[in-house]
Amino acid sequence: MTKYLLKRLFWMVPLLVGISLISFLIMHLAPGDITTTEASFNPKASEESRQKLRALYHLDEPVLVQYGLWVKRIAALDFGTSFATHQRPVFWDKKDDKGNVSSGMIKQALPITLLINVLSLVLIIAVALPLGVISAVTQNRPPDRAITLFVFIGFAIPSFWLALMLMYWTGVSNNWLPISGLHSVGYEKMAFLAQGWDTLKHLVLPVFISSLGGLAGISLFIRNGMLDVLHQDYITTARAKGLQENTVVYKHALRNALLPLITILGLSIPGLIGGSVIAESIFAIPGMGKLFYDAVLMRDFPVIMGILTIGSALTLVGNLLADLAYAWADPRVRRGISQ
Amino acid sequence: MQNIQRKHAISHRLTSAFVLVFLVAGCGKQKTENDVNLETVYAPEAGGTLVDAMTGEPSGLIPMIAGESAASAVAGNIFNSLLKYDKNLELEGELATSWLVSPDQRTITFTLKPNLKWADGKALTSADVLFTWKLVTDDNTRTPYASDYKLVTKAETPNAQTFRVTYAQPYAPAMDSWAGLQILPKHLLEGQDINTTAFARQPVGSSYYKLESWRNGERISLVRNANSTQGPAKIEHLVSRFIPDAASQFLELLADNIDSMNLNPIQYARIFPARPELIKKIGLYKELGNNYTYLGFNLKHKPFDDIRVRQAINYAINKQEIIDGVLLGLGEPVSSPYKPGTRWSNPNLQPYKYDPAKAIALLKEAGFKDHNRDGILIRDGKPLAFEILTNQNKQREMSAVLIQRRLKEIGIDAKIRVMEWASFVGRFIKTGDFDVVLLGWGLSLDPDQFSIWHSSQQGPGQFNFIGYNNPQVDKLLEQGRMELDPDKRMKIYHEFASVLQEDSPIVYLFAGYGLPAIHKRVKGIDNPAPPAGIGHNSYEWYIPKPLRRTEMSSD
Repeated sequence: MTKYLLKRLFWMVPLLVGISLISFLIMHLAPGDITTTEASFNPKASEESRQKLRALYHLDEPVLVQYGLWVKRIAALDFGTSFATHQRPVFWDKKDDKGNVSSGMIKQALPITLLINVLSLVLIIAVALPLGVISAVTQNRPPDRAITLFVFIGFAIPSFWLALMLMYWTGVSNNWLPISGLHSVGYEKMAFLAQGWDTLKHLVLPVFISSLGGLAGISLFIRNGMLDVLHQDYITTARAKGLQENTVVYKHALRNALLPLITILGLSIPGLIGGSVIAESIFAIPGMGKLFYDAVLMRDFPVIMGILTIGSALTLVGNLLADLAYAWADPRVRRGISQ
Repeated sequence: MQNIQRKHAISHRLTSAFVLVFLVAGCGKQKTENDVNLETVYAPEAGGTLVDAMTGEPSGLIPMIAGESAASAVAGNIFNSLLKYDKNLELEGELATSWLVSPDQRTITFTLKPNLKWADGKALTSADVLFTWKLVTDDNTRTPYASDYKLVTKAETPNAQTFRVTYAQPYAPAMDSWAGLQILPKHLLEGQDINTTAFARQPVGSSYYKLESWRNGERISLVRNANSTQGPAKIEHLVSRFIPDAASQFLELLADNIDSMNLNPIQYARIFPARPELIKKIGLYKELGNNYTYLGFNLKHKPFDDIRVRQAINYAINKQEIIDGVLLGLGEPVSSPYKPGTRWSNPNLQPYKYDPAKAIALLKEAGFKDHNRDGILIRDGKPLAFEILTNQNKQREMSAVLIQRRLKEIGIDAKIRVMEWASFVGRFIKTGDFDVVLLGWGLSLDPDQFSIWHSSQQGPGQFNFIGYNNPQVDKLLEQGRMELDPDKRMKIYHEFASVLQEDSPIVYLFAGYGLPAIHKRVKGIDNPAPPAGIGHNSYEWYIPKPLRRTEMSSD
């Protein structure tokens, strides 16, 4: 088992190098760089100044040299500073000699996106689990049909439209929820509990909107997993020996039907750090999606690479965790690994 | 779904009530009482908070480093320059009380106002001005704006209140450049790396406001600067919230969570008129924006080297139709690169009239004929067809469609191609590999247009990418740069604009209005807006006490 783990970890290194190299090359395939996006059409900004900037950022070197420079930095876990003006650090906070801290861009956006995504993942599972089970148990009967219809509507509805409608309904027509942002303007002056309540109110709509799309996938997944299991012989056996239907469904069937969910959860770990550009723009939330999108438009290479590296590392770790969890949950897989 | 939403709402109301019991007050958002009459006339008084919305967040607040408009909008409230533009866009002193141009026009001497102070109480002197000039011209400073200041051959400070610059030869845009350079404090920045300094996020300036707090990605709050070099502003707090989405901004405005935002033409011309209850509480304003949209020809490509083709296309395009269709009438045609109504704009120039018959005649004269009767004109076996390139900008895309149709009517086959900005600049503009572009330029405050129209400015990455080459215009542009007398300068640029208009290297399409919407609790706004826009006297705006938001009044 340890050997297996070490082997997997070892193979992650070349994979990461490959991913980062390909990302780096693709990023440089797109025409333009930071000097074409920043002040590019301002007649007061001269071409000489732009050439100077290009040299300062090593953008005039061959791509492979630039990649080498990047690898050299990243090997020491230094994500560098943003190309965009004022060069904020990409990941870690930086302190100058006077003790002033410049906060890392990813470090600041990540917790916000994580919070929203974890909350919505919890919400998705909390809702999808009962929905999927009810669907399976009442297969092809009205409750199943209604649930399927509901989750598909949630999946198909354009989230930006629904977000705006809900914002109007809960924020303009009624004064129930704040419309956008993470904190109210008077946040600093609030008492501690009020601050928590304020944040919570701001999170309701973003979390609801980002859960709605994921509901369909997971609930149908559980429904199908349950259906497979419910047709197994041992369920018939369980029923035959006179167990209560609830025990059959929730104790014998559900636990086996949950196995594939582990894979899905493992695969959704990298998704946790990727925010949705549309939702974040509409709700004015300074998360990872907006950060990445803006970086791409600005050709802010260090930020793009920083996010891609963290994303790909998390994907690999997520895969590993999923496999491990699978082995833990399923003796058949465990035996396969130790052999 | 209906069911879940209802449940959700009910449970929310329950928890709401629950928490209210415990917290009593402090978290609920109270709207301004409906019975307060917003039209009442109040005397000006200090205090209150104005909340506005911005689509982007500044990267930092050192204006010479940060290029984006969000940064200049905020930094403009914090820093001062030597000069500024007044409400009619004429130069006047800001930190400088007067300035003197030497008889040979090469030396400018600025005299600073007495007793200037930084927000932290330290004296602001000519040493700070010199320091800022050194900073912007320093090779290690990552600014794209150094070129104007590098022309200064000597900068000196004879005394603490005098700053003198000498140029190798007279340079008229210098005045504009000193209105653009915001002065930074030497005592806080000396010895620091300007590119990465934390000062960018905790600036100390000299203008009406100083930074109160900055929540990353959420908002910047400014508070009145007691040491302001320009006297006190009226409104106590300025809060700028970063809301990227225009629809969300609009909802925030409707819910009275923000006081001002910039509307788009649809919101201004369609939504507001249909909702009288909004007009009751929100004031709508109109100001000419700072840029114009144009259709530019690649003059190095055939057939655009032929003036008759360019003029024909100019006559074939109905500018008013574009203004009505794209901007819902909220724009103006222009016929020079200067703001209509200002000194530099030549009042005798008229836009090319919409005249398809004349366009067809011109094309015929240029040798174009529809030989195969497919509706497309042909010369030398080549159809008159080209691609109109533009970037992802709704107004430009829509304009291109209207132009495409009008061109089709006179026998020109135009295709439209829309590109993402960086690709657009990198692949087409820098390489000169385009026929026709639909883009925008600024309506510059200084009339100097050397970098856009002079024939020497055609290298890769330079701004005369359409390849305009006219010796007469070259000469006028050179003269205009050397002439510091405003009246003589004005004549030069009036002539420049009229040659340009006749030559038709670009088709001026429109200059759109900026459409600020401001809650009526904010008083003291100039309406109609002067050329500088409604913001020119924002430090005189005030919010009478009875109209302030309850939960935010700090005094």
